[in-house]
Order: sequence, then structure tokens, then C-alpha cells
Amino acid sequence: MTTTTAQFRERATIALEDVRLQQALDGATGRFATARQAALAAIPWADELRDHFKAIRAATLANLAEHLQTFERQATAVGTHVHWAQDGAEACAIVTEIAQRHGVTLATKSKSMATEEIHLNAALAKAGVRPVETDLGEWIIQLAEEPPSHIIAPAIHKTKEQVAELFERESGRPQSAADIPALTAEARRMLREQFLAAGMGISGGNLAVAETGSVVLVTNEGNGRMVTTAPRVHVAIIGIEKIAPTWDDAAVWLSLLARSATGQPMSIYTTVITGPKRTAALDGLPDPDGPEEVHVVLLDNGRSPLVGSKYEEVLQCIRCGACLNVCPVYREAGGHAYGSPYSGPIGAVISPLLFGLDKYPALPHASSLCGACQDVCPARIDLPRMLLELRADLVTQGIAHGSEAVLEGSVSLAMRSERVWALLMGMGRVGQRPLLKNGKLALPERFNPGGERPLPALAKKSFHDLWRDGEV
Amino acid sequence: MRTRTTILTRLQSNNRALAQPTTWQSRQGFNDLAEQFVTALTAVHGEPHLAPNLEGATAQLGAILAELGAQRVVANNEAPIADLNLPTRWPHLQWHIVGETAGDLREFCTYADVGLSSGIAAIAETGSVVIHSGSAQSRVATLFPPVHIVLLPTSRLTTDLFTFTATHKNTHLANGTLPAAMTFISGPSKTADIEQTMAIGVHGPKRFIVILYRE
Ligand code: SF4
Repeated sequence: MTTTTAQFRERATIALEDVRLQQALDGATGRFATARQAALAAIPWADELRDHFKAIRAATLANLAEHLQTFERQATAVGTHVHWAQDGAEACAIVTEIAQRHGVTLATKSKSMATEEIHLNAALAKAGVRPVETDLGEWIIQLAEEPPSHIIAPAIHKTKEQVAELFERESGRPQSAADIPALTAEARRMLREQFLAAGMGISGGNLAVAETGSVVLVTNEGNGRMVTTAPRVHVAIIGIEKIAPTWDDAAVWLSLLARSATGQPMSIYTTVITGPKRTAALDGLPDPDGPEEVHVVLLDNGRSPLVGSKYEEVLQCIRCGACLNVCPVYREAGGHAYGSPYSGPIGAVISPLLFGLDKYPALPHASSLCGACQDVCPARIDLPRMLLELRADLVTQGIAHGSEAVLEGSVSLAMRSERVWALLMGMGRVGQRPLLKNGKLALPERFNPGGERPLPALAKKSFHDLWRDGEV
Repeated sequence: MRTRTTILTRLQSNNRALAQPTTWQSRQGFNDLAEQFVTALTAVHGEPHLAPNLEGATAQLGAILAELGAQRVVANNEAPIADLNLPTRWPHLQWHIVGETAGDLREFCTYADVGLSSGIAAIAETGSVVIHSGSAQSRVATLFPPVHIVLLPTSRLTTDLFTFTATHKNTHLANGTLPAAMTFISGPSKTADIEQTMAIGVHGPKRFIVILYRE
């Protein structure tokens, strides 16, 4: 996948003109953002807790090698097999090899951005293993053969009618589109069969706790528990940066994760996996159930070179999605415009860093630099700073992202949609507020393609609003 | 092995002396932990009950099983459940006592109406129950059946995640005692993946009932 400015423009235009998608994006991101705000307001010391968390994440990354080794030692001591993967290909090879060794033909998966990042499903299919996503949203987009459009809610772009159609095709039975509980019950029934039949469960890991060698998985549906309990083999793929040295650190992490993501004080299920089922538990007797083999794949895939660099801070991210929900660009363009499993402000920074700036030259510009992302981030990551650094890197590395070309050729497009134009210029309406001078946009010189000359301000009423109101 | 060395060497060359901050101390304070637990669990669609003692809790359990019309019940064989002699108390029900009853546990759980367990702790702030796996503590017993009922003394209540980690650092959270699976459960299984509309009971239990009793 790549995302040039032209591609971003094309995908964003599709999203902008899709009225239903705009409503869904507005609704979902608005609800998440409001819920997050309320959840954090309920703990008066939230800001200090976030400062504390940032300090934890910074210190952890400064000594990451040591923590990874501690994790490896403790996990191995309880019988977990620990693997190291330099890149996606290596990680996929490790997982498919485990599957083939066990003669696995069906694997159930719990939602994992790391496995999206390495395209594990394609690798599994090629190796003769059928991967079934079990997070309801992730399963819906798997059936639709589409990538996720939000870190937390991967299928926010699908309507219940589309879901009913997909379920009908999968089950061969008619489904009632209007009835979401009935669709959910149907998913429960269909996926329960898969859980019981699968030879292997694949998960990500929200974090790993070094001092006990544990992998922590957070879900609301319970699929994380299913995937790590029902099959004979469990494989977890986790980025090397997702380490909490101690349970004290993990407690801070878990206190902020669900609150920031969905506004829940705690997700419904927080599952802590520490090795395979015991052949001799504390009383000397064996566990009655649980996987016989547990594997953890520590995934680098471009992360270790960031440690010690000006981009190290991005590794503090815990993938809560809060920055997506407040981003004026994401809220308009939707997740697919970014062309990466990671969308929104975090995606705009991490996609070029992990997968190559030359492949994602448009993303550093897919931001209004309004700072809303940093305001809500549980680790207070300075995403705007890194977006600017990436823009500078584009220049020094001589990578054209096509903004000049777009400027020239974009008059007609800008007439069609001022928001598209705003997106491409890296200025949403929210972002331009502090930059408005006498009704004109006065951008810092560096970002103003028109030099010193102020650009006309964006209309108060956006294209989308005009269109919705029948004025265009 | 080469990959491991490459990654670790690269990280080590950027190692810096930066100490972890001192442990965050809980700032949360509740007048009545049981009351707070009930409020928090209710807010997430869980069903808390308060009983004056174990006897009262057992009576409530009986009433709930009757109301559910439960026929097949799987129970983790742990305190206080182990001492209640449930199969003798309610012989009209079909029981699977983990580690005791012969037969296929997984098969039984697949068709069980209710899973019954205790927990090692409960977190008042969030209405969460913490359960461990073990030789008498099945993981699927609390996961496969549509209803999960927990029987728990109020003495196991703790304020929040921070008091939980502080209290259990050297017991339940220590190396060697931490079991293969520890789960914090904070309500019935739910999803909002179809049009952001909340639906209960997608993969895990549809009802999460906690009977707290004072000792
Ligand atoms: S950058 Fe911050 S707000 Fe965005 S997903 Fe990561 S942790 Fe959450």
C-alpha cells in the first residue's frame, strides 16, 4: 500500500461524498470523544496520571532491551515460547510454521493491529490456514474484504443493511437488517462454531508485563478470552514497544487505555496470559483447560531504529484511538484515505516511519496541526511536532508528495469540495482558526504554498454541509 | 537468534539512564467499597446482589438459578462454592463440579446454562471481578455458558487497580503464583460494532451476576 497525495485525495473524496459514511464518522468519533472526556473527568487526577504514564513510557523505551530480556526470561520460565521477528515476513513465517507443525487448517483471531500491519491473514491463507477474525467489527470487514477504518471500531463505515447482507452470504440464511441484536446473536452462533473447531488462536497484545512474562489482552466481546482459551495453541504477536516493566506500570496503562479508547473505566474483559495451561498448578494438579502451547512473537518491523531518534516518542503509543476521534482530518476523510491499518494522527506519523516515507509521502500533510491529538493522548505524544519533522524529512530526502502539482491541478477539485482542498493543504477548519488574519489564512511561511501571500479562508459552510443542504 | 541479537544490540546502543518513576499511589477513596462496586457494575449492565452472609448468598443463588430455569450448571470447585455441596442441595439440577465430576468438561460447558465461580478479588471503582485459572478453576466454565454467576465475600473488595496491584504484588501477582490465565471481568460481553449500537452477549456470557456477601 502507498499513499501519495493523489491517492489520499481520491480516497478522501469518496469518503467526503458518502453522506452515510460522514454521518457514521461524525457519530462514532463524536461519541467516543465525549465518552473519553467524561471518563477522564471522573478522575480528577487524570492529567497527573497521564504525566506519570508518559514518564513510565519514556523510561521503558530508554531501557527497552533490558525489559524485553526480562519478559523473555519470565515468559520462558512458565513455558511460553518467545520468538523475535525483524519484519513482517519473518513474523508471518514464524506463525505459519507453528500452524503447519500442528496441522492447523483453521485459526481464530482476536483483533490485532500488529497482525494487520504484517498482513498475516494473507500469509496464513497462502499456507493453507483459514484465518477467521472474531471481533465482530473485524469479522464484518473480513467478510467484506476491506481494511479496518478505525483502530478501535474497524467497521464504523458499514451499515446494518450491509452487515445483514454479508451475514446472509456467509450463513446461507436470511437476516433481518433492522435487528442489530439478532445480527449479533447470529454472529455469536456462527463464530462459536469456529472457536470450538479452530486448532490455533491468534491474538495481538495490548501490552506485555515483563516482570511476570504475561501478555495482556483487552476486549469487550470476550473473543480475546475465546481465542486464548479454546484452541490447543495460542500465538500472540506484539510490538516490541508494548512493554510494561512491572504490574505497577501495567496498572497505570490499564487505567488509561479503556478510558481513552471508549470512555469505559475498564474494558469488559482484561485477560492476562502467563504461559500455557499448567501441568501442575499450585496444588500440583493439572489445569482442566487452556492451550497446551503458547507462543509470543516480539515484532520489530521498523520500531527499533526509532529508539533514540527524534521519533522515539511515537513508540509510547498504546493504540487507544483517542487522537483519531478528535482529528478534523480523520473525521472527514475516514480511515481508508490513509491507506494503512493505522489511520488518523497516529497513522499519519507511524505509517511513514514503519513502512517508509517514500510510500506514504502524503500523510505528514494529512493534518491541520491543530494539536487536538496531543491534547487527548494518554501519553501526551507530540504528534504535531513529528508531523513537522516528517515534512522536513520529505524536503531533505527530496521526496515529492505532490502538493504543488495538486495545487495547480486542484482548482476544479477545490471548487467541488473545499474540505478536500483543506485536507490536502493540511488545514482543516478547526486548524485554521488561530491562523486567520482578517478573514484570510495566514499560515506559517513554511506551510504556505503561496509564499507570504495569504490564501482565501475556507468557507464557514463546508462543501459537505452545502451539499447536504442542497445548495450545490 | 540473529534477529534477536540485531534487535537487542540496536536497542542497547541507544540505552539511556532514565529511571522508572516511583509507583503511582491510589488517590481513590470510597466510603463503602461494596456500595461503590454495586454502582459501578450496575452502570455496565452487570447484575450485583448484596447478601448479609454466605447463607443469604446461597439462598439468592438458588432463587436466581430457579428464575433462570437453569438445568445444567458448571461450578469451579473453589471456596466458598466447594463447601456448599451444591449437587446435594439442588439434586434436580445437572452439575459438573470442575476437577470432581467425571466426563468431558468442555462438552458440558458448551451446553451448560450457567457457569459458577468465585474470584480472587473485586475492584470497587470499576465493578470488576478478578478470576484465576487453576486445577479446580476452569476457564471455559466462566466463558462458554450464557450466564456467569460469581459468589464473592466483600473482604476481597479492593479500591482500584492500584490498590489491587499493591495488595497482591507478592501473592496473586507474583511469579510462580500467577496462573496461566487471570481475567478481570467488568460486566456482560458486549459490542457496539454494528452502527455503534450496543448489543449484549456477543461471545462471552450475556449475563454477569455477582452475589457479594459479608462475612
Ligand atoms: S497517539 Fe496517543 S491518542 Fe493516538 S492512538 Fe496512540 S496513545 Fe492513543
